[in-house]
Amino acid sequence: MINVITMFLFNIVVYNIALLYGTTGEIMIEKSGSLNLGVEGTMAIGAVCGYIAACRTNSLFVGVLVAFLTAGLTGLVFAFLTVTLQANQNVTGLTITTFGVAFYYFIGNGLSNSKGGWPKLNDTTLADQFRDVEIPLLSKIPILGKGLFSHNILVYLGIAIAVLMWAYFAKTMPGLKLRAIGENPGAADSAGINVTRMKYIHIIIGSGIMGIGGLYMGLNMGGTFEGSNCWINGYGWIAIALVIFANWNPAKALLGTLIFGFFNTLRVYNATIAYNFPNTLGWLNKIPAQFFSALPFIITLLVLIITSISKKNSSNEPASIGRNYYREDR
Amino acid sequence: MSDFHLVRRADFSIRRLIICYAVGILISLGIGALLLSGLGINPFEYYKRMLTMGLIGNRYAYKCIEGLLKIFVPLLITSLALGLAFKMRFWNIGGEGEFLIGSICAAIVAFNSGSMPKIVTITLMCLAASLSAGIIGLAVAALKVRFNTNETLMTLMLNYIMLYLIRYLGSTKAPWNFFLNPESERPIFGQFADNCKMGGIKIGNFTLLYSVIAAIIITVIIYVYLKYTKQGYEISVVGDSSATAKYAGMKVGKIVLRTMFISAALIGLASGLATATAGTISESITNNAGWTGIIVAWLAKLSVPAIFVTTLLISVLQYGCQAAATQYPAIDSNFADLLQGIILFSVLAADFVATFKIARKGGQEK
Repeated sequence: MINVITMFLFNIVVYNIALLYGTTGEIMIEKSGSLNLGVEGTMAIGAVCGYIAACRTNSLFVGVLVAFLTAGLTGLVFAFLTVTLQANQNVTGLTITTFGVAFYYFIGNGLSNSKGGWPKLNDTTLADQFRDVEIPLLSKIPILGKGLFSHNILVYLGIAIAVLMWAYFAKTMPGLKLRAIGENPGAADSAGINVTRMKYIHIIIGSGIMGIGGLYMGLNMGGTFEGSNCWINGYGWIAIALVIFANWNPAKALLGTLIFGFFNTLRVYNATIAYNFPNTLGWLNKIPAQFFSALPFIITLLVLIITSISKKNSSNEPASIGRNYYREDR
Repeated sequence: MSDFHLVRRADFSIRRLIICYAVGILISLGIGALLLSGLGINPFEYYKRMLTMGLIGNRYAYKCIEGLLKIFVPLLITSLALGLAFKMRFWNIGGEGEFLIGSICAAIVAFNSGSMPKIVTITLMCLAASLSAGIIGLAVAALKVRFNTNETLMTLMLNYIMLYLIRYLGSTKAPWNFFLNPESERPIFGQFADNCKMGGIKIGNFTLLYSVIAAIIITVIIYVYLKYTKQGYEISVVGDSSATAKYAGMKVGKIVLRTMFISAALIGLASGLATATAGTISESITNNAGWTGIIVAWLAKLSVPAIFVTTLLISVLQYGCQAAATQYPAIDSNFADLLQGIILFSVLAADFVATFKIARKGGQEK
């Protein structure tokens, strides 16, 4: 029974850290005043390119780098279209999603039907680099240790990115400037901040972070390509919801990932848990799995409505979000 | 760059726009050709097969046209409906969700229709679909008007809530669940009785479904509505500037509520027609019309005749990729989405070239 709890904790982290990558990446982009609805597609592009690069070179590091760069390139397309060419952000973002997921299938189907076939992950040095690393001392804590402090390297990287990003927004000068742009690009421009450059940099970095999340999804699925199911599987959309739930704060995104991950894991494990604790948690079995899947979206919808109704403005939503900045209109 | 800056072109030329778009589409097809060659496929043969949709030399060519129209009808109505909301700068990206709830409600009617005549059941199905979707749209619009809740994110969340609702209905065996086929052990959606399936006019072997005729009538009505009625005029004023609309004495809130209801209800109608045509429901009943419709409406710059043409082209693209997939196993119908994405990117860029120009700072402006 103790094992069930440990497994549960372990799975919350291991299956949902990709959400954290998607969310922190999207927070960085939204803080610059852009709403990028292309998370799903950006993650898919990073996933497929990063995975292939990792398998070809047998190096996780190269995989992460390629995932970051290709997803960053996607971000560059978004930035070029919306910042320089003033295209509509919603349409551009949604198109990136359509394009990215289609690109994933295109490359995947193409490689699967080619001579070499789809690269496999099993028993390679790459799989070894992706193994779990135990943190000394902390991983020895009973129940919690194995669940929370024994994970692969990309889990730790994702958490580090979230913490660093929080510090970047809260404590540094460029972070402050970025927030100023998100609130009022015209005022930031007058204060001598190079709005265009800042937007480009942060959209590209944010997209790159999403790409690493995509690669993580692929590796976590064992790298098998199926013609009918994308690795990202809607996590990009949950990430967009999580940004709102986390109130545009990377540290809260960490917490939000655990909460949304809790529901995700409950969906998979409700039968096991109900079986192990029949007296207290037996009712869990009666809740349909689809309800847990829909829960992140239901909660976010409620958060959206409640924050807009409440008079006290506690939302950290950047004020200029979704609107392009055209200097001549200032 | 500092010597140059962007200036909106004062003159608008439809010829320049069309040339820019054509160049953009050609470049996209070129990129697609490069990708195809990368897989060792002759792009010209693939494009030929895609654009002719396997019609040439095919005894069953009429089946292709029927298949094409099944993609065309829901996409056309959805794109028009989304365009209506976008014209008002209301970001209804919940087409998928509205489509799904419409489909569920149409199925409720269909599975409980008993032995009513066909015309009654199909009318009721469309009515149920439109009303349910319309109410969702109205609720979103009410929150937007009253509390300024972000409608983009609200409709986005609703898409997924509806998706999981239909998945739940499709995978739960229970005595109350009349959506499922009672004879099957595995949960699968049941088929409608014959009095709930879309009929049509027989022309030789080809069947022209009534839904196609309905779609064309709706297109004409929306065109007239936007161009010649007071309500259509109000939509464009609110879209240009809601402050102007307010000063002109228009009730902006009421206009937003009304238009969003119409927009969502039309998507529901598209869904009702598609559900009756399919004769069953499924989570893929939307065929991504809610997403593709956004791209179509935007490619067409929200103009009704242009939406009609663009929908036709995108349907050919999608159906053509499906048809070509039988010949090329390495490329599935997702290639249509890939091309669609590249085309939109280039058209967005073309749009920019057509509406802006780069001017030298301090230089003379014409």
